[in-house]
Order: sequence, then C-alpha cells, then structure tokens
Amino acid sequence: MEEIDYNSDKFINAKAEMDKLVEESLKTRAVRPNVLFGKLSELTKATSSKVIEWSRQNSLWPMQFGLACCAIELMDFGSPRIDAERKGYLLFRGTPRQCDVMIVAGWVTKSVIPEIKRLYEQMAKPRYVIAYGECATCGGPWWESYNIIRGIDQVLPVDVFVAGCPPRPENLFGALMKLQKKLGGEIED
Amino acid sequence: MHLMRVVIDVPVRINVGPIHPSTHGVLRLVVDVEGDKIENMEAHIGFLHRGVEKLLENRMYMQACPHMEKLDYFAPMSYDELYVAAVEQAYGIELKEKAMYVRTILLELQRIASHLASIGFLCNDIGQLFTAFMWSFKDRDMVLKLLEAATGTRMFYVNMRIGGLVRDLPPGFEDSAIELLDYLSKRIPAYEKYLEKNPVFMERNKGIGVISRDEAKNLGITGPVLRGSGVSYDIRKNKPYYVYEKLNFRIQVRNEGDNFARYKVRMLELRESIRIVREALKKMPPEGSAVGMPIRLIGPPVKNKITITERELPRGECMIYLVADPQRPYRAYIRSANFINLSAIEEMCKGQRFADIFSIIGGLDMVMADVDK
Repeated sequence: MEEIDYNSDKFINAKAEMDKLVEESLKTRAVRPNVLFGKLSELTKATSSKVIEWSRQNSLWPMQFGLACCAIELMDFGSPRIDAERKGYLLFRGTPRQCDVMIVAGWVTKSVIPEIKRLYEQMAKPRYVIAYGECATCGGPWWESYNIIRGIDQVLPVDVFVAGCPPRPENLFGALMKLQKKLGGEIED
Repeated sequence: MHLMRVVIDVPVRINVGPIHPSTHGVLRLVVDVEGDKIENMEAHIGFLHRGVEKLLENRMYMQACPHMEKLDYFAPMSYDELYVAAVEQAYGIELKEKAMYVRTILLELQRIASHLASIGFLCNDIGQLFTAFMWSFKDRDMVLKLLEAATGTRMFYVNMRIGGLVRDLPPGFEDSAIELLDYLSKRIPAYEKYLEKNPVFMERNKGIGVISRDEAKNLGITGPVLRGSGVSYDIRKNKPYYVYEKLNFRIQVRNEGDNFARYKVRMLELRESIRIVREALKKMPPEGSAVGMPIRLIGPPVKNKITITERELPRGECMIYLVADPQRPYRAYIRSANFINLSAIEEMCKGQRFADIFSIIGGLDMVMADVDK
C-alpha cells in the first residue's frame, strides 16, 4: 500500500487551495443582493437586541432551590404578603434547564458544592446568580466552621449580593429589580 | 383498547435529591423500587453539616444564641430558649414569674407559626394543594408580625437573655395578640374544611407511612409524630417547665399512626397553643419586668457542672447535655428531635408507593439543618 506523506505541500497548503477554489466559484455564481431581505435583517438587528434585552429583563425565572434558613424567606417571597407575581418573578421552576436565575439561599458546605456546580452548568445561558444572605455572601455566622466555604463567589460568578441574616423577602425583591437594571445596562459590574 | 405494558422485573434504583427533594432541605434518598413499590430505602444526610457543637465550644454563652437559632429555622426562638435555659440551669439562676409567662407566650406563638408552616409544606409536598400553602404562609406571616413587634426581628429573634428576655413586651401587645388569636381560631376550621374534604389530600395521607406505637417508641421518636402513633407523651405535661403546670391544656393524641394522624395532631395542637396563649395572657402578672441579665456573664460561678435540659419543641423533644466551664461550654451535646425522627423514614416508606415518599417527608416535617447540625 502506498504511504501518504502528510508533510507534503499538497496537504500543508490545503486550506489555501480550498480558499482559492471557493473564491473562484463565488466569482462565477455570485448571489445577487436581495434588497428587501437585506433591509429586514438590518432592521431586526437594530430592534432585536432591544427586544431581547426587554424580554430577558421581564422574564427572570428563578430556580426552586434552597439550602437553609434563607430558603424560608425565599418561600415567603412567593407568599401573598409580598406577591412577587406582580413583577413576574414568581415562576419558580423545578428544573435548572428552564431557569435564568439561581438564588443561593443558605450556607454552602463542601459536600454540596459539586451539586450546586452541576445545577449551575445545567442552566441555559445567559444565567445569573444571586447570593442571598450572609452565609452565601461571606460565610455568615459559620465563618469559623471547618465544613463551610466563605461565600458562593468562590465557586460561581455572582451578580447580586444580598445582605442580612436572613434578608427580608423585600430585599430579594430589591435584588431582582437590581438584576433587571443590570441587564438593561443601567448598572455596571 | 389495547394498552402496552412494560414489565421491568429487575429492581430499579432511583436517586432522590440531594438538592431539594421536597421543601425540607438537602437530603439524599436512594430508593430501590419494584414497579412503583418501595423495596428498600437508604437516607444519606450530612449535606448541611457545619459543626454547631464544636462552634459552641469557642463561643461565650450569649454569643452562641444565634447559632442555636439556626438549627431549627421554623422555630428559632424555641431552640434559643432551650440553650439559655441550659445555661440558667448550670448557673442556678431562677426566673421571675413575669419572665416565665412572657417566655411561655412567645414560645407558644412560635409553635403556632411552626405548625402553620409545616401544614403548608405538607400540602406543597403533595402538590396540587398550593392554596393551602398560600393560606398557611399568609397566616404565619401574621404571627411573625406579632413576634416582630415583640422582639424586633422577623425570623431570628435572639430575644432570650440569661434570667429573662432582652426586652419587655411592647405596649398594646396583648390586644393585638388576642386579635390575632381570634382570627386564627376562625381560620383553623377553614383549613380543616378545605383539606379534609379534599379527595387528593385524604387519598395521599390516610394510611400512608404508618408506624406503630411500639416501633415509634423503640426508635425514640418524639413530638407530633409520636403523638400521632398513640403515645401520650409531651414534655410540657410530663416534666413541666415554666408555667405550663398552671395552665390548662391537653396532650393531643391520635391512634392511627399514619400521615393523616400527624397532620391532625398538629391541627389540634394549634388549637391547644391558642388556648395556652389566651390563658397565659390572662394570668400574666401586670407589673414587673421580664428583662434578664446584661449580655456578659461574669459574676456568678458555675453551680452545676453537668446539666441536662429538655424542652418540647414544635418538632419533638430536644435536649442539651451541657458540661459548663465558666464563660463558655466545655461540651454541648444537642439531641435534635428531627435527626431521631428521620430514622423512621425507612420504616415508614417500605411497601409504600414511590410518590408517597414526599407526603411522608411532609408528615415527618423535618428540618435538615437540625438533622445535620
């Protein structure tokens, strides 16, 4: 059987030759510019970024995911007193694939980090993280403990930190409003 | 019509959790099912472990209160009180009568809030009954509002001091408390009417997760779960503390031992708690202060080196075994009711169907932070 020399010019310059062939074929079979289509695409490009931004801002779906005490306030967030539904925040989903926002509510132990990472990676992009409460921001009252990491920002990129032990549900409302502003470009990182 | 059937005769192993198996925290269950029937089950815990008992050894007595509260975050004040009572016993400090009454009132209000939340979670775990969850959280919020007026914070109060409380009850507390209790005593029949006439609720709770009287005793279960199995045992009656001796209430017992019995016991206990608060508000001495010692305990020497303090918390009997050093505990062992109640889950789930796991967890009403410590 004949051996193929992969270091020959034929193989090294393959890309250049391919480009040459494509160029020639484009010259002979040039696509005429479609005026209407071109204008439409420009129009959609101009408007869609705004539309996408607006829809992203107004359909933040948080994940139904709680670790500890702050998760109780997270549930209170959905209760009739706060009524988060009026701003469209209250579509807590059970699966990470349908979510945009992960609210880390509670202390993060070493044994739970791999699970949180996996959930985060299962979320579709763009995805946001809110560190809710002292424990998720800096370790909180457990900062001395041997089994705690001092803040979820050591593992995941965090968008909004919420202080308090536990923060009131109103604070979570405020945090989501802040996240909306960040998506709209009003607040910079 | 012909229905296609897939028969799997090999037992299948299903992993439940660890993140959020229901609304009770981070718990992993490995379940072997045959068809829909649970053959075997194994519970994995420890995902929320942060070493509370070790941390307590490095804290002065009053510094540890916030840590104790975070054990059971549905009833933080009860745990706070348990720890402070243990320290009081170690130092041999007696409470004033007013302080005893105020503590009793606040603890029973906390029990009402906790039981309301647990009923809401049971309905949420079953699914479909989100209405009851909304109702119970609305009512719980009203109780929390009253507690906020009395203590200053919404969830973690840190309201206990050695020898009393941080502050007296605010003026007008009694009137607003009685108003709330009137409202709640009207609400409880509404819950019962809604839930007990609901076929979904009844189907998924009656005869589910049965644990017999003897088994419950052997496993060391306490609280509403034990009382749902027909054992009349309540620390408030059996080893009364504070002013529970002077107050008129009953231990609520159901004999069925299933999930519905546990729910019913909680409902009946809500009524009893309302009764207790009403009576305590009437009998409370109008004069005097409930305020305890300043935050640091420097003066008195430790009287009892080793003490055991037991309290009836909303989720069962909790105990602290305290070996006291001056200023800080040498060792504080916490018997958490949730951890011991959780040991029954394998017994309860065997032979049940897969979907019943969640109603059983809801009926047990665990707090995983308390289990893992």
